Amino acid sequence: MTRTSNDILLGAAPIVLVLLLWQALVSFGYAPPTLLPPPGQVFLRMGQQLSSVTFQQDIAATLFRLFAGFAIAVVLGVSLGIAAAVSPPVNAAVKPIVRVLAPLPKVALYPAFLLLLGFGHESKIMLVAADALFPILLSTYYGATTVEQKLIWSALAAGTPPRDVLWKVVLPAAMPSILTGCRIGLVISCIVVFLAEMITSTDGLGHVLVTAARTFQAVDMFVPLITISLLGLILNALLQGLRAYLLRGFPSV
Amino acid sequence: MNGLWKPLAPVLACCGLLLAWQFASLGLKNDSFPTALDSLRAIPPILTDKESLINILASLRRMAIGFALALAFSIPLGLLMGRSRSTAAFFNPLLMLIYPVPKAALMPIIMLWLGVGDVSKTLVIFLGVSLPVIYHSFEGAKAVEEKMLWSGAAMGLSPPERLLRIVLPAALPEILTGCRTGLVLALITMVTSEMIARQSGAGNILFNALDMGQYDTVFAMIIIIGAMGICLDAAFEIVRRWLVRWSEPQFDMPLSFS
Repeated sequence: MTRTSNDILLGAAPIVLVLLLWQALVSFGYAPPTLLPPPGQVFLRMGQQLSSVTFQQDIAATLFRLFAGFAIAVVLGVSLGIAAAVSPPVNAAVKPIVRVLAPLPKVALYPAFLLLLGFGHESKIMLVAADALFPILLSTYYGATTVEQKLIWSALAAGTPPRDVLWKVVLPAAMPSILTGCRIGLVISCIVVFLAEMITSTDGLGHVLVTAARTFQAVDMFVPLITISLLGLILNALLQGLRAYLLRGFPSV
Repeated sequence: MNGLWKPLAPVLACCGLLLAWQFASLGLKNDSFPTALDSLRAIPPILTDKESLINILASLRRMAIGFALALAFSIPLGLLMGRSRSTAAFFNPLLMLIYPVPKAALMPIIMLWLGVGDVSKTLVIFLGVSLPVIYHSFEGAKAVEEKMLWSGAAMGLSPPERLLRIVLPAALPEILTGCRTGLVLALITMVTSEMIARQSGAGNILFNALDMGQYDTVFAMIIIIGAMGICLDAAFEIVRRWLVRWSEPQFDMPLSFS
């Protein structure tokens, strides 16, 4: 118990140090407040913004795009990953395409999505989905191919119809790996949705940052950045909770 | 048959994707969606134009510097975190906090401080690459077998020597996984940072063409950047294979139950 509380203290130390350094830079005049506003001012502004309706709408727009893109990526990634692990013909078709598309920087595709899907939600959702898809697909595939064949044989021997093996053996056994992929995909979604909104958008957190940057409002530039970081942490914690619930039968993962 | 088929499969996939694109654009008949052939035809003028070639090479140079600096910084930190509980407890919460921050989004702020030049772009690439590499080095070092360290200590290796000669090689496969993610991220941050700082580089050409409505240049640049990603990844894969040739080959077999 003392070990964990020590760890928390140790972990809080660098965060406090960063905040102190930040404050010191401003108060000793090394950085002008127009370039680096003091932390107090930033958090005050953040409190104000969080209670304002327009900012809440921006957060809602960002979250909507994030979840829509992430959901598409999860559905496609898990089904394609499992299909590629189970059926050799699908594997032969999917694998080379994935090898080509996975290392491609998806942000470069964003102009194409803009031209094809317009400047609305669709192009941003598409970009998020394209970016989050591959980590989820790859870890699903990895998880499903490393399922022990013995488990499948025992299930078959116990009379499970081959159709059900997928749901009852392969999917649960691949679950830890799938969830790891989802976690990476979620972080990437957070990053990408923000970038897409920075490039072209009329709302969302990324747009707030760009507007602030154009008018040199340093305080307003920090607020959306801290907000997206907090959103990422909250979503990550939710996913961890889901993981703990889904994997409750597994030995410590 | 199998040996011949394997290196050809990605090439075939490329051709298939380009074909699908060609038919899609022919079917859609949309002015802003040129055919694959038109886009491919727009590539040679870009690559022979001196100015854009300099731009693209400058992008690659920034990326290489940022990537190399990030590796030099992140691998030792990650390994230390993996071997010492208190170091891990010290850095983990801070890293968790900054992990979901889009690094390229820091660009406007860093530009305020350091200007629009090479320094800010390289710094952003450095930040983007660091986190996955730290994370994977950490995981890799944590999973090193205790027994190997004990034997190393028993044979008289000092702690820094143990880190270099036992932990580093044992964690290498995992570290390289992190580097691969980092490489993709470096390309992404490179493109986005240039798109935000609109001064030079491949991302600048891409988004300027988009603004000016030169759609075949847009798609040609997409192909060039995509090809850069694929080639870098393939080159990295060769290096990785060579570095970890001693480790077990990755398990990769379709399941059978039907």
